[in-house]
Amino acid sequence: MINVADLTKSFGRKIAVDQLSFEVRPGVVTGFLGPNGSGKSTTMRCMLDLDRAERGRTLFDNRRFRDLHSPLHEVGALLDAGYVHPGRSGRNHLRWLAASNGIARSRIDEVLDLVGLTAVAGARLRTYSLGMRQRLGLAGVMLGDPHTIILDEPANGLDPEGIRWIRDVLTHLAAQGRTVLVSSHQLSEIALMASDLVVIGNGRLIEQGTVNEFIDRHADRWVRVKSPALGALATTLTAGGGQVTAVDEATLDVRGLECRAVGEMAAQHGVVLHELSPQTGSLEDAFLKVTAAAQEFRSRATEVAQ
Amino acid sequence: MINVLRSEWIKLRTVRMNWILGIIAFAFPVVITLLTAFFSGDDEGFTARTLVEVLTGTAVVAALLCGVIAAASITGEFGFGTIRPTFAAVPRRTRVVAAKAIVVVTASTVLLVLADLTGIGIGRLLAEGQGATIDFSDVPTALPALTGTVVLAGLMALAGYGLGLLTRSTPAAISILIVWPLIAEGLIGALIGLISGWHNVVQWMPFQAGIRLVFVGTDFFDGPSRVVSGLYFGGVAAALTIAGAIAVDRRDA
Repeated sequence: MINVADLTKSFGRKIAVDQLSFEVRPGVVTGFLGPNGSGKSTTMRCMLDLDRAERGRTLFDNRRFRDLHSPLHEVGALLDAGYVHPGRSGRNHLRWLAASNGIARSRIDEVLDLVGLTAVAGARLRTYSLGMRQRLGLAGVMLGDPHTIILDEPANGLDPEGIRWIRDVLTHLAAQGRTVLVSSHQLSEIALMASDLVVIGNGRLIEQGTVNEFIDRHADRWVRVKSPALGALATTLTAGGGQVTAVDEATLDVRGLECRAVGEMAAQHGVVLHELSPQTGSLEDAFLKVTAAAQEFRSRATEVAQ
Repeated sequence: MINVLRSEWIKLRTVRMNWILGIIAFAFPVVITLLTAFFSGDDEGFTARTLVEVLTGTAVVAALLCGVIAAASITGEFGFGTIRPTFAAVPRRTRVVAAKAIVVVTASTVLLVLADLTGIGIGRLLAEGQGATIDFSDVPTALPALTGTVVLAGLMALAGYGLGLLTRSTPAAISILIVWPLIAEGLIGALIGLISGWHNVVQWMPFQAGIRLVFVGTDFFDGPSRVVSGLYFGGVAAALTIAGAIAVDRRDA
């Protein structure tokens, strides 16, 4: 269990993390989301005492990070896969890391095998791709077999196979009862692996809860209907209070009416339906809606296109 | 603490540049001494004193290189970002700072012990092979001066490490380490001497005082003795490292 309370961190006049409090429970993957510049990475650094927070505290199973005797056995963290010396080999990178916490050398071979880097363990890190460095970073996280795992954008640079692999690894680790906190911009990945969410914007907590609750609360909902008599159906549904949008010549999206109501109206007017299905927006839709006000760097691509 | 020491030792010896600089630091005094013994051993005036003077004189360059290795050992951590996984693995930063200091100082002193033994041992054989008579009992300051090279290397490493902790930048730390003793101290000393009339002030410049550790002669030009100079330079090097350790502990990693 991770307990973050009242965490506050500024850089000059800019408040990067503002009285942030949240909890991360064991047994599930928790996604840590926020727009660019929202303070995710700073929060993670403060949690690990790498950045000195002005206020607040983070407890890992009721202990502060600085009080952990052998942190790698308790909290495994990967904040940036680029934090390596390019002249060292992958194995030697893991060697100093393992030695710092008294971890046996045999464990290095185990984690190298786990992440699939055994064959290139002796190569210098300057020859590693970003994806290989991510794998090496995850090997470092797993060195001490920790029960808490913190990862900042772990899928960056990974190919589709690698992304699927890291998703499987993290869900497997969470299923073993570990506490897993993962930040990512790849919302589709978070939707697939995370059960809980912590969403922040401008350094403040926007929302914490399960992914399903978050989508239910914030994502758009509508009903999709297909019918050979679309004109009659559209008139009926509009008269019944729905907002109707034509998708193609045989399909309508209906907002403002429940699925059951659409079906009943169609039946009352003798309209044949080929499809009647409830639709829900994605995690990405919900995220963009919730964080719209907190977007520090907003793209103007749409305006340019117009 | 043993684990952190082991970790820092692995870090130091798994970077190729450290080996290259270490080999140069070892080879420079040894090669110069051996070449001198080989080509000048048959000179009439070649004595044990000549051998010791060449070795201790060139050992200053070796000590400077030890300072460079020590500075880069910590600035590289900040430059490549490895300081973050380091502190994530060992949250008590003073342990890391202390362990790294112990490792770089120990490695530097061992390096100079090996260079001194090799230079003196093989240099003597070469010079005697050329007909010179090498009797170290003629040079009562030989042992203090050679010990001074070892101490100077350790202190130079500590000073370089302290500068690295404070600046977090390899170019900045190495520039200060090279420019300060070779140029700045002389200029500042001359300026102060000109203004105040205290012409021996340069002897109290930190690095100049450190270099007095390797003096072979007995004439210390009315300046501080070998021991006082060593303690003074050691104090400055320790102060740099302590200031750096405090800064590292307070700042964001």
